[in-house]
Amino acid sequence: MRTFTITRILLALLGALLVMFIVGPLLKLLLSTSPGGILDALADPELRDSIALTGITATAATACGVALGVPLAWLLARARFPGRRVVEALVDLPVVVPHPVAGIALLLFLGRRSAVGGALAHLGLEFVSHVPGIVAAMLFVSVPIIVSGARESIAAVDPHLERVARTLGDGPWRAFRRITLPLAGRGIVAAAALGWARAVSEFGAIVILTYHPRVASVLIYDRFTTDGLGAAVPAALMLLLVALAVFGLVRALQPDDHR
Amino acid sequence: MIHLDRVGVRAGEFTLDDVSLTVPTGAHAVLLGPTGSGKTTLLEAIAGHLPLLRGRIELGGVDVASVPPERRRIGVVYQHYHLFPHLSVRDNIGYGLRPAADAPPPARGRVEELAAALGLLHLLDRAPRALSGGERQRVALARALAPAPRIVLLDEPFAAADPAMRQQLRRELRALHERERFTILQVSHDFEEALRLATLVAVLADGRIVQQGTPEAVFQRPASAFVAEFLGAGNVLAGVVRRDGPEEGGRFPAVFDTGRLELAVVADREGAAHALIRPEDILVTAELLPGARNHLTAVVDRLQRAGPVTYIHMSGEHPWVAVVTAAYAESLALVPGREVALTLKATAIALL
Repeated sequence: MRTFTITRILLALLGALLVMFIVGPLLKLLLSTSPGGILDALADPELRDSIALTGITATAATACGVALGVPLAWLLARARFPGRRVVEALVDLPVVVPHPVAGIALLLFLGRRSAVGGALAHLGLEFVSHVPGIVAAMLFVSVPIIVSGARESIAAVDPHLERVARTLGDGPWRAFRRITLPLAGRGIVAAAALGWARAVSEFGAIVILTYHPRVASVLIYDRFTTDGLGAAVPAALMLLLVALAVFGLVRALQPDDHR
Repeated sequence: MIHLDRVGVRAGEFTLDDVSLTVPTGAHAVLLGPTGSGKTTLLEAIAGHLPLLRGRIELGGVDVASVPPERRRIGVVYQHYHLFPHLSVRDNIGYGLRPAADAPPPARGRVEELAAALGLLHLLDRAPRALSGGERQRVALARALAPAPRIVLLDEPFAAADPAMRQQLRRELRALHERERFTILQVSHDFEEALRLATLVAVLADGRIVQQGTPEAVFQRPASAFVAEFLGAGNVLAGVVRRDGPEEGGRFPAVFDTGRLELAVVADREGAAHALIRPEDILVTAELLPGARNHLTAVVDRLQRAGPVTYIHMSGEHPWVAVVTAAYAESLALVPGREVALTLKATAIALL
């Protein structure tokens, strides 16, 4: 009994060290700025524009990820087809690709000199040093989060429910809309919110593809390298607050048994 | 009517092969078979959830090869209910009906009508998770019947219910069937259930239908030792038939030799066979009866009371089971370990 209690105390201390390692820097950042500094940051038009651009592009990337990712997630969760495991692995690939590498790959693929980038530029869709480039970089890094989250949520819905709905007169899409979507909905929204947060925090791929206009992460880096730490902190704090708000939303959306 | 013509289906590693079955309109057919025999796979194929490898399925005289599940007019009830957890009981039952706004008045009243028939009226606004097992099964049945399907597929619908609830559910199903006259194909592994409900029984083994007919015919004349054993029809012995007298009208007196036991029988062929002896055809006495030909002794292993009758499980040259009235069992003062005499009528031994 005594050994057991000592073990627990030891484990708790080790865990507390790790938690402090996460909480400490964030707390320090929060406390580094005075209320006046936060008000100044809110009044800074460049920072405001940058955060707005980050929010809009992250939302656009998440919308693309959900529109294209949820149907794919349904296929991966429900259908058995040759190459399914390969598709799953490919969708997860961006997780292991270093972000500057992802930026360079996207630059090569979507730049004006590539076949795809050239054709899209011809249609008026330019990526390099344009807003769509930010969306593309954000989409690339958030796809694995959105697709795997949606796939797990859909897979958790008993497929018999859809089968029953089919025998009760629903076509495949109607059965998905009336049964699977409401049951998997919270999980899909949570996956989308996590994907959005991931998009907001992206820096490495964006900085290579579209340095200007600057999203919040690029602006923070820019201020840090040109004007020093003091200039970067208010912008960093603003981005942290946005991220914390999304984190709270995700936690609220998670099913009870996952809490 | 359900008509299956040489149907072949694959589900994972499992294959159903050459299944032919006709269930007349309004009949209640029970598909019997052990676990893993392909019963549920066959229902899934009829419902349109699994494609056919070969053969054809006709529902109401129409080949449904290219008809999707939503247009087959089939209701399905699963053993585990599969109620929609995000909908109330009312919305579950009404799921297959058109939205109330465009529904004609009879459709609007259909939910209440079925809920009343199945004793669910007071539960209509509850969530499925707040229901007992029996209530969930009733909701699943009401939901399947609400759109007035012409065919209802039941996949072990009463397996999860306790005996009293099962009896009640059977009564309710029978009443609804008599009223609405849909065609039922029910899957079960319980022959007693088939005897109680079915007008037609089919036995499925290893992906094939090995026997079909009225419940009485299948019970009294199992087509194989497998069917006899599966149905729990009694004592099944393997042995060899040897002729023991002249043939008359295609049958002759014979000896059935199990290697440990010789029984006088009436046979129509010689060679390897299975003998089926029903528990009620075994006479159990305290002493050997003088003059009887098929008599042997056995030791009582255990007694199983089932209402007014008692099953006597015994061991001797073979394991035996006999059934007698409970009063007779008491008069013999049977206890485990007691030796008893068994007498078998030669004409009651069915050779398969």
